[in-house]
Amino acid sequence: MSTKEFRLPPERPTTDLNIGGVNGRWGGPLFIEKGFIGKVLTFFGENQIGPLYLGLWGTIAFASGGIFLFIWLLTMASQVGYNPVAFVKYFVVLQLDPPPSSYGLSWPPLEEGGWWLIATFFLTISMLAWTVRLWTRATALGLKPYLAFGYIGALALYFVIYFIRPVIMGSWAEACPHGIKALLDWTNNVSVRYGNFYYNPFHMLSIFFLLGSTLLLSMHGATIWATEKYGAHEEIEEIEAPGTGTERAQLLWRWVMGFNANAYSIHLWAYWFAWLCGVTGAIGLLLSGTLVHDWFQWAIEAKINYPQVLPPDVILPPQ
Amino acid sequence: MGAVVVSGSRQTRVQGGRTMEEIEADFRKPGKTLLGRLTGIDVLDFWVGPFYVGLWGLITVIGILIGTAFYVNATILNGPYSYPQNFFAGRLEPPPAEVGLAFVPAGAPGFDWQMTMIFATIAFFAWMMRQADICSKLEIGYHVPASFGVVFSAWVTLQWLRPIAMGQWHEGFTLGVMPHLDWISNFGYRYNNFFYNPFHAIGITGLFTSTLLLAMHGSAILSAAQSRNPDVVENLATFWRDSVGYSIGEDGIHRLATLIAAGGILSANLCILFSGWLVQDWVSFWNFWNAFPFWNNV
Repeated sequence: MSTKEFRLPPERPTTDLNIGGVNGRWGGPLFIEKGFIGKVLTFFGENQIGPLYLGLWGTIAFASGGIFLFIWLLTMASQVGYNPVAFVKYFVVLQLDPPPSSYGLSWPPLEEGGWWLIATFFLTISMLAWTVRLWTRATALGLKPYLAFGYIGALALYFVIYFIRPVIMGSWAEACPHGIKALLDWTNNVSVRYGNFYYNPFHMLSIFFLLGSTLLLSMHGATIWATEKYGAHEEIEEIEAPGTGTERAQLLWRWVMGFNANAYSIHLWAYWFAWLCGVTGAIGLLLSGTLVHDWFQWAIEAKINYPQVLPPDVILPPQ
Repeated sequence: MGAVVVSGSRQTRVQGGRTMEEIEADFRKPGKTLLGRLTGIDVLDFWVGPFYVGLWGLITVIGILIGTAFYVNATILNGPYSYPQNFFAGRLEPPPAEVGLAFVPAGAPGFDWQMTMIFATIAFFAWMMRQADICSKLEIGYHVPASFGVVFSAWVTLQWLRPIAMGQWHEGFTLGVMPHLDWISNFGYRYNNFFYNPFHAIGITGLFTSTLLLAMHGSAILSAAQSRNPDVVENLATFWRDSVGYSIGEDGIHRLATLIAAGGILSANLCILFSGWLVQDWVSFWNFWNAFPFWNNV
């Protein structure tokens, strides 16, 4: 649909405020048909960018997300004396740390985690406002707010990392710092600290749903790409009235693996696989350090691992 | 560009859909297989229940049966504990390092691993070719076997390319439910830390992006399919432009999905292949970054 015609479908009454230009939208549509970006967009079939809806919840989400970014980047810039070259050079290793564990859940000085608390507060507000925004936008356009439900699955993991688990453990130091390398280090350390997350069954489930989601996305995407010449990509129509494209797609999987979804149910599979990835990950992290302190030992007691016995010729170094 | 729909396809739509018996009656016909095209005769061109067989199906079944027999015999039936514990903890190790790239004789350590690995490789390859035969019969694109080929390339990288590059089968992937987790964990720390491996980072980003795209696409279609609004397709496009600024469209999302999922796996292939062969330490790998002359003294 690369027409230059721009029209908006009728909307239902919404709880949102139409802050912004026409009907709460920011600017007009932008059609890019030339250059590299134009070629990429033409390959995917849609050349129109925007307009973006602002609204009350969008304003809150963008503003508080912007405040988070501002605090995060500025505290990191202060660590290199506001030198722009050093900022670029060290960008991935700079980090904004939560308060040390000696402060527990109490209010620390700004330089010792106070900025982290303020930044994380605004990041959280931004994500909650984004959820409401996805919800009100869907209902205003007559759609079920499934995307907001799905986003809540990802938020479950966010809240366990940054709020629920630190509160249960009694220290903000349990939460993840803000920073590129810091995020990787925190993930690595929380795994090693509780006896290796590879043996955490909820982590296993989360990885299963992560890899399973990639598999499902690949299977579904490739199937529809292969049958789009028969119109199988027009999924709303094909759900109501399957045509030869959907029939061929179904036969492909029926003949390959003896089972097939249909144009509707594949999206149920998709939705729940992706949703469960975040939620099972949240459960796995929530249990770590609160109820279970060593997942490797847990796996041995659950009899899914062999007990580890040192070979007789190994001599441990003196402690 | 986007999707170009063959004329008449949309007219085949039947409200509520046809039964599987009606669909099968239209499509379940012999011909158009690779073997049939090459030799003019294909005696294996038939179905068993819902499954298509064909030459490649037969090879797949042989690969699965023999490979599984070696695996189950070595790890579960002859494992040190009870069958359920052996199922989870059973470990099938590659040959010892001194074997190099030789084939291990029957009974020696690593023989079961080599047999399982070779027959699994045959089964995976034949599975891909069988998908291609089915796509040919249905006269659809070869995107599914191509995507399966990408994940097959991950197996080939792990079990063939990297061991050959390192000069010993010992570098292969340990098989087993829990032991394969041990192997990944150990491998991650053997080259200092895989979190610092940029190709690993791109691969993980591909996985997370795939999960995000799957949630976005699944929820979009569910929410639109349950809508009672007649303009629902247009509303869905408006919803995406409103919320994230761009609507990629019905054909575009499936193309992007295929490419993102495949790209993540291809980057993961590189992250495995380079470790130990070209790069020994993913932390000191980044020393080049600080050594750029333009910020040497910062």
